[in-house]
Amino acid sequence: MLQIENLNAAYGKVEVLHNISLSVPKGKVVTLIGSNGAGKTTTMRAVSGMIQPTSGKISLNGKAITGLPSNKIARSGLAHSPEGRRVFATLSVTDNLLLGAFPRLTFGREKGDVPGDLARIFELFPRLKERAEQQAGTLSGGEQQMLAMGRALMLNPDVLLLDEPSMGLAPLLVKEVFRIISELKGRGITMLLVEQFAAAALEVADYGYVLENGRISVHGPAGQLKNDPAVKAAYLGAAH
Amino acid sequence: MEILAQLIVSGIALGMIYALIAFGYQLTFATSGTLNFGQGEALMLGALVGLTLVGHMSYWLMLPLVLVFGALQGIFVERVGVLPAIKTKSEFGWIMTTISLAIIFKNVAENVWGHDDITFPSPLPTAPIQFLGIRVLPMEILVVVGALAIMLAVEMFNRKSIYGKAVVATSNDRDAAGLMGINTGMVITFSYALSSMTAAFAGVLIAPLTLTGSTMGVVLGLKAFSVAIIGGLNSGMGVIVGGLILGIVETTTGYYVSTGYKDVPGLVLLLLVLAIKPSGLFGKSVIKKV
Ligand SMILES: Nc1ncnc2c1ncn2[C@@H]1O[C@H](COP(=O)(O)OP(=O)(O)O)[C@@H](O)[C@H]1O
Ligand SMILES: [Mg+2]
Repeated sequence: MLQIENLNAAYGKVEVLHNISLSVPKGKVVTLIGSNGAGKTTTMRAVSGMIQPTSGKISLNGKAITGLPSNKIARSGLAHSPEGRRVFATLSVTDNLLLGAFPRLTFGREKGDVPGDLARIFELFPRLKERAEQQAGTLSGGEQQMLAMGRALMLNPDVLLLDEPSMGLAPLLVKEVFRIISELKGRGITMLLVEQFAAAALEVADYGYVLENGRISVHGPAGQLKNDPAVKAAYLGAAH
Repeated sequence: MEILAQLIVSGIALGMIYALIAFGYQLTFATSGTLNFGQGEALMLGALVGLTLVGHMSYWLMLPLVLVFGALQGIFVERVGVLPAIKTKSEFGWIMTTISLAIIFKNVAENVWGHDDITFPSPLPTAPIQFLGIRVLPMEILVVVGALAIMLAVEMFNRKSIYGKAVVATSNDRDAAGLMGINTGMVITFSYALSSMTAAFAGVLIAPLTLTGSTMGVVLGLKAFSVAIIGGLNSGMGVIVGGLILGIVETTTGYYVSTGYKDVPGLVLLLLVLAIKPSGLFGKSVIKKV
């Protein structure tokens, strides 16, 4: 489904990613764990076209998407819920969600049942339904996170990238976010998940990669990584 | 009292023209953070192209053609002047390029239409309508109605259509809009088309009330810029209020002080607002403190 081979990326002259290779098979949840500044967000940005990789190959559904602008990659079926939520503050909750379906409402992606999907998003996130006509900028952090996820889902994506969906949320909401991720997994949605709560991420994921200073250091089935002494010591300690 | 009421009414039409040009500044600033400093020249070109067209057809038939011309002119400015600057991330390159293009447009107009100001035939009766002792020109009413109509149309487009929402999304967060599958480069080009289109429309609205000529845009563009700063580069309502204030202050200054000073209030207002409230009266803070 999503295939990354020898990906390198940089900000100006500072190289951040070194030969990243990973794959997200159809219907699976793959998690990318690593400390702050390891390059998780940069990996996601390079995949969705927010930044141009310096080299490497990225393919979606067997088609190369390397170097395409983000709008074309979205039209190819990749949704990215970015770090920091990035909701459209002056637009209503409903408009934010409709924009998630922009390629379906215009061209480039099968239209399907947009109003029906909107209703299903409101079922998944009842708080958003209550706030449907409110400006997104006035929502709480947790609600904005729900909105960012809902907006990404509105694409009917082939692959969903979630970058730290629980960032800055109260413990109860973090639990809620993970409950929703499990639910989405149950629906067969293919996901690449970045999370600070590595233990919880490995719990829901099928497979995991550990990123250290822009390099993949360890990877394997989630159950195996959970019990890997090195991974445990570095990422699954009491702080996590 | 009656004189003051008359001056206010006369100021409204002029004020709506300022508002319309200022609205054009807002459109490109929202999507790209850049402004077309040739907005006055877009107005001038619209008026002169309109003048040539009304030699062959009615004013009303000319309007849609001038709108199309304005849009194409805006696309040209964006592609030639602004896009290269955005691509190379040159923070102030667009200032130089839009000013340079404005000078070129002015020169071209001088060569095509000459140096002299020309009267623009009025599509409406030129006799004023009397109302409670106040005289209003039919053309002044058309200016107000036309300006409000086009601003309302843009506002409705932004609120109701998915493409309009894509424009607003691009103004909110360009990168996130790209993730939605929105071609934000196209949105910026579109906003330039819309911006020059409103300026060209302002040109053919004001032309029958004033004179038409290659220099008509310079002062209008500058004063509308002060209106955009006063009204806020982000807020739609602000430019209408700002435009009306300036229009009325100008006609009253022209009467009570001297017509020789009628251009002064706009520029003084600009200096005052920049000194007191750099973000404009209504908008959010946009100008970085240095
Ligand atoms: N916009 C940026 N410009 C320059 N450097 C950046 C930028 N974003 C991230 N970096 C740097 O790239 C490295 C990886 O960052 P990031 O991908 O955000 O890490 P993570 O998401 O794993 O915390 C860090 O050293 C960070 O400082
Ligand atoms: Mg990050």
